[in-house]
Amino acid sequence: MTPALEKEAASILSMNSIEVLYDNVMLAIKGVSIQVPRGGMVALLGSNGAGKSTTLKAISGLLKVERGRISRGEISFDGSVITGLPAQQRVEMGICHVIEGRRVFEHLTPDENLEAAAPVSMNRATLKAEKQRIYEYFPRLAERKNSQAGYLSGGEQQMLAIGRALMTQPRLLMLDEPSLGLAPFLVTEIFGIIRRINKEQGLSVLLVEQNALAALEIVSDGYLIENGRVVMHDTAQALKSNSDIQEFYLGGGSATNFHEIKHYSRRKRWLS
Amino acid sequence: MDLILLAELAVNGVLTGLLYSLFAIGLVLIYKASSVPNLSQGGLTMAGAYVVLALAHDMGLPLWVAIPLAAVVMFVFGMGIERVALRRLAGRPVVMILMMTLGIDIFLRGTTLAIWGGTSRSVDLGVSYEPLFVGDILVSRIHLLGAAVAILLFVVFVLFFRTRLGIRLRAIADDYMASWSVGISVERGVGLSWGLASIVAVSAGIIWGEIQGVDQSLSLLLLKGLTVAVLGGLDSIFGAVLAGIILGIIENVGSAYLDPFVGGGSRDLIMAAVLILTVMLRPHGLFGRTDIERV
Ligand SMILES: Nc1ncnc2c1ncn2[C@@H]1O[C@H](COP(=O)(O)OP(=O)(O)O)[C@@H](O)[C@H]1O
Ligand SMILES: [Mg+2]
Repeated sequence: MTPALEKEAASILSMNSIEVLYDNVMLAIKGVSIQVPRGGMVALLGSNGAGKSTTLKAISGLLKVERGRISRGEISFDGSVITGLPAQQRVEMGICHVIEGRRVFEHLTPDENLEAAAPVSMNRATLKAEKQRIYEYFPRLAERKNSQAGYLSGGEQQMLAIGRALMTQPRLLMLDEPSLGLAPFLVTEIFGIIRRINKEQGLSVLLVEQNALAALEIVSDGYLIENGRVVMHDTAQALKSNSDIQEFYLGGGSATNFHEIKHYSRRKRWLS
Repeated sequence: MDLILLAELAVNGVLTGLLYSLFAIGLVLIYKASSVPNLSQGGLTMAGAYVVLALAHDMGLPLWVAIPLAAVVMFVFGMGIERVALRRLAGRPVVMILMMTLGIDIFLRGTTLAIWGGTSRSVDLGVSYEPLFVGDILVSRIHLLGAAVAILLFVVFVLFFRTRLGIRLRAIADDYMASWSVGISVERGVGLSWGLASIVAVSAGIIWGEIQGVDQSLSLLLLKGLTVAVLGGLDSIFGAVLAGIILGIIENVGSAYLDPFVGGGSRDLIMAAVLILTVMLRPHGLFGRTDIERV
């Protein structure tokens, strides 16, 4: 085997030169290649509009409902090509995408949120055990399991969204900006739980974040995406010490607030 | 006006109102899944009644066979509507789905007219027309039966929405995208709602067909059913039942007082006033859910 093929065999997810078109005209990502090692944790970083969510939707199959499609490239999961499969089938295979914005089922209780996501074929006993497993990871949810999910706090809703995804029995969990709008202590708590699940269950994780500082603390390596292209791929250690990353994403440099950092980052791009 | 008469008007108002609820439950089921008021619910109700007639009178099956069979036929038909007409509209503006339901209604009216003609036919459920005295109050047996069916369906659906399948349907009603993301088949869920609403349509079609005969005018039940559903909040089954009762009382008692002054026709005015006032003053109805503000 060539080294490249060997690397692919060790990956649970392998995405090769993927191009995505929305509405047949808008080219949102332009040849993105990403590998997620089996049991590994990888971050996908980048600013607003870079193409992070589009990349996740290409993997989960949720592109279709947004009138997007993969116009080039191939995605394989656990050795089989999934590029054209419907989203539901990908969930059954073990890919679950926690979409942006903590979209819990608001009018259901947390308990019902978890039940809704359980595979149809799961029997009662397993269902109960699985819910229990998730309440152990997220004790805050257990306390509020019978209140209406729409009235949970932001952190609790994010925990519920993750717990709900875990009910589908994924082998690859993809999280789209789970830290958005959450207090730092909650981000630490949630990322800690994700790390724990990754360690204990061997769950592979692909984490999309604008909050690079927090993300790079828990992943082994990261990709940086800009304007629909991967512009950097390195270990988390190397990325953390990279001066450009520090300047733009870790809050270093001369900019003093988020708005300025974003503004500045729009002027200077790695590729354009 | 004496008290007994008032009580009689109120009691019969409740019964008639529950018959509106019977119709409105179908609207609520579809609104939950598709976020549109189904403008073809009247057409479905009429079609349901015609299918029962076709099986019972034209093919000679006994009613106890014809009615469940019609329910199955209409269930499959409702699922088919989702598959053929609605699936391709997923993700499109809601107004297009609304127009599609209008199209389906026109189609159903045209088809039933072409097949069964315009003359009114009777169902012959075998319910006696002898009025029933409950104490001093006079009630109609068929209205009593219809009200019982409405309450039975209400209980069945309340229980259904607590099952795992029912929870998944409520999840779909909350958020299509989130449902897809965890592998819930939104398409099948929406299809199931249409199938169930079509079964409700069969039961409403039989009861209303027995009361007023089966002809094209059955489809006009949509107007009163919609008023009830809107007052109840469009996505609440309990709301539809309560709104039916309230509207039935207002309509029956109100029109008895008003008709002598306006020379008849005040029922429609009362309906119109309720619909307009609800939309103006309480757009989410009595029990409709409002979207929860996120912090
Ligand atoms: N449904 C859509 N239809 C058309 N364009 C879209 C759609 N979703 C995203 N885009 C565009 O694709 C690009 C990448 O968006 P996205 O993947 O959401 O970025 P990110 O998640 O990194 O903020 C943006 O320019 C965005 O405007
Ligand atoms: Mg995004």
